[in-house]
Amino acid sequence: MRRARGGGDEEAPRQNGSSSRRRGDQQQSDADDGDSAFGPADLQDDDNDPGLRREIRSKYRDLINSVQQNREDMLSPSNNKLTEVLEQANKLFKDVRQAREAALDAQLLVVATDLGKEKASQLFAEGTAFDPTAYAEHLLSFMGLNRLEDGEDEQNGLDGYLPQDAWHRVARRAECCFRTAPSFHYMMGSFHAEPPPPKQRIERQKKAPSKEAKRIMPTQLKKMDESHQEATEKEVERILGYLKSYYQDDPTSPISYYEFVIDPNSFSRTVENIFHTSFLIRDGLARMYLDSAKLPCIAPVEEGEVEAGGSSSRKQCIISISPKTWRELIDVFDIRDTMIQPSNTD
Amino acid sequence: MTQRRRLSAAQSCSQSARQPGTLVAQEEDDDPTFTQPSTSQVQRGLDKLTTAQVDQKTAEVVQYFLVKDQKKIPIRRADLVKHVVKEYRNIYPEIMKRAVRTFDQVFGLKLVEIDSKNHTYILVNKLETVEGASPIKSPTNPKMGLLFVILSVIFMKGGVVRENLIWNTLKKLRVDPGEKHEEFGDVKKVVTDEFVRQRYLEYVRIPHTEPPEHEFRWGQRADMEVSKAKILEFMGQLHDQDPQSWSQQYREAHSTPSSTQASTSSQR
Repeated sequence: MRRARGGGDEEAPRQNGSSSRRRGDQQQSDADDGDSAFGPADLQDDDNDPGLRREIRSKYRDLINSVQQNREDMLSPSNNKLTEVLEQANKLFKDVRQAREAALDAQLLVVATDLGKEKASQLFAEGTAFDPTAYAEHLLSFMGLNRLEDGEDEQNGLDGYLPQDAWHRVARRAECCFRTAPSFHYMMGSFHAEPPPPKQRIERQKKAPSKEAKRIMPTQLKKMDESHQEATEKEVERILGYLKSYYQDDPTSPISYYEFVIDPNSFSRTVENIFHTSFLIRDGLARMYLDSAKLPCIAPVEEGEVEAGGSSSRKQCIISISPKTWRELIDVFDIRDTMIQPSNTD
Repeated sequence: MTQRRRLSAAQSCSQSARQPGTLVAQEEDDDPTFTQPSTSQVQRGLDKLTTAQVDQKTAEVVQYFLVKDQKKIPIRRADLVKHVVKEYRNIYPEIMKRAVRTFDQVFGLKLVEIDSKNHTYILVNKLETVEGASPIKSPTNPKMGLLFVILSVIFMKGGVVRENLIWNTLKKLRVDPGEKHEEFGDVKKVVTDEFVRQRYLEYVRIPHTEPPEHEFRWGQRADMEVSKAKILEFMGQLHDQDPQSWSQQYREAHSTPSSTQASTSSQR
């Protein structure tokens, strides 16, 4: 029990300080007994020396800082640092004379007792203690940490790389511990803008070739059309020429249609001849009739008769021919030579 | 809109002599003074409405809760009354009763009031997640992993920890609150703001600390949703130890009624 000395207002804090200090001690350390006796003369000098006051206050502040900064260190059950701090505080307290220093002492005690409470709670846990550091290590393994084999290669003091899905793994494992209500979302989901872009791309691709084709086509077509028309007209005229010349050679003997159109050397030219001859008939420049043997014959129409015969006695028919028929006709009519010479432009 | 409110206030005025709550409710936005109508008032209110109307309103309330719960932030009664219940506030208890029943029977969810002072609600799953029950695994949220680690440390350390312990443990897991994390972003914000608003954690200032320090506890939602027994099971697996070796935590996980509510449904 410390003997209270000095001025009145220092008494109360000093008393408080000493009693709470005892409670704060975890281990019963022998507090200094109030053996030191102050002489009245010493008291006065110490009271008034501002240098000493300042020194005491600064030492208190150092102590407080050290407790706050090294918290984790002091908490560790392996050392007695907290007790050492308290012993130092006790020594300092001997020289406390003024309220300011006592206030600092009180502050130190608040911090120290707080720490003491935490240390006490550590001791209180029965069974196996829980070490967060070990927990963290186990978690890292669980997350799939790839520890580097070469122990010297330490990047920032950490070895190994955590995989991308490290936290997803923990979340997956933790799912069963939560009874979270599932988040409600409409099944149709939100409007997704993704499908349109691919479609646009396809459309554009298609458009591009067709445009080019169109650009080319007109010019080609024009040429073809012209050439076609010209070719057809020329051909038709040519055939008309042949027909007339054959007719004029022998106006009385009828020209067999088949003999006229068939080219024994080429089926395709036969078809072309039929095609071109049909124009003559359409335009009324030639006429077809059946002779006494009911076989088709062809003859040019006289110049004067063209318009007269135009509208009244028109009949239409469709002629088809197949290679087989063509060959049969050649055999039957014994066609050896074509009457319509093939044009050189073909 | 305001006219309608006045009308409904007038209606309820005529129904009962004293309802100072709804009268005041005319003007303000928040409706903090919504007082529960009495049973007789509710009955009178129900008499004036068709079943279809009440069912419709109940359905709207259910839908409101479901959508609001997406972010896992508790839903306030004041918001519910203002935006959904509106003129049906005189039969509010009946609507809530039906809504609770719908959640229970149709969705397998529990509508729980976690704060009886501020009247906030959350939705909790009634059913346990069974391993391998669904072949479709919905995508996991890594934040849940982070939360799980924090909750488990708090639990194993007796229910309260100083924030530095959490920050130091997270740092060992390569999550530094001072740096931007590629998965979580601003870690400090996620832990001290998001999780706290969702009521998974409580982040309380410790008095007399300079610089100010805080401590973490389990939040009300965590108390309802998280199974301490299952956490202990995971600890056992991870440390290759018997869960019972942490005797204090084991006792807490298997004895208190609040924790068994979350852990086993066999009690029911």
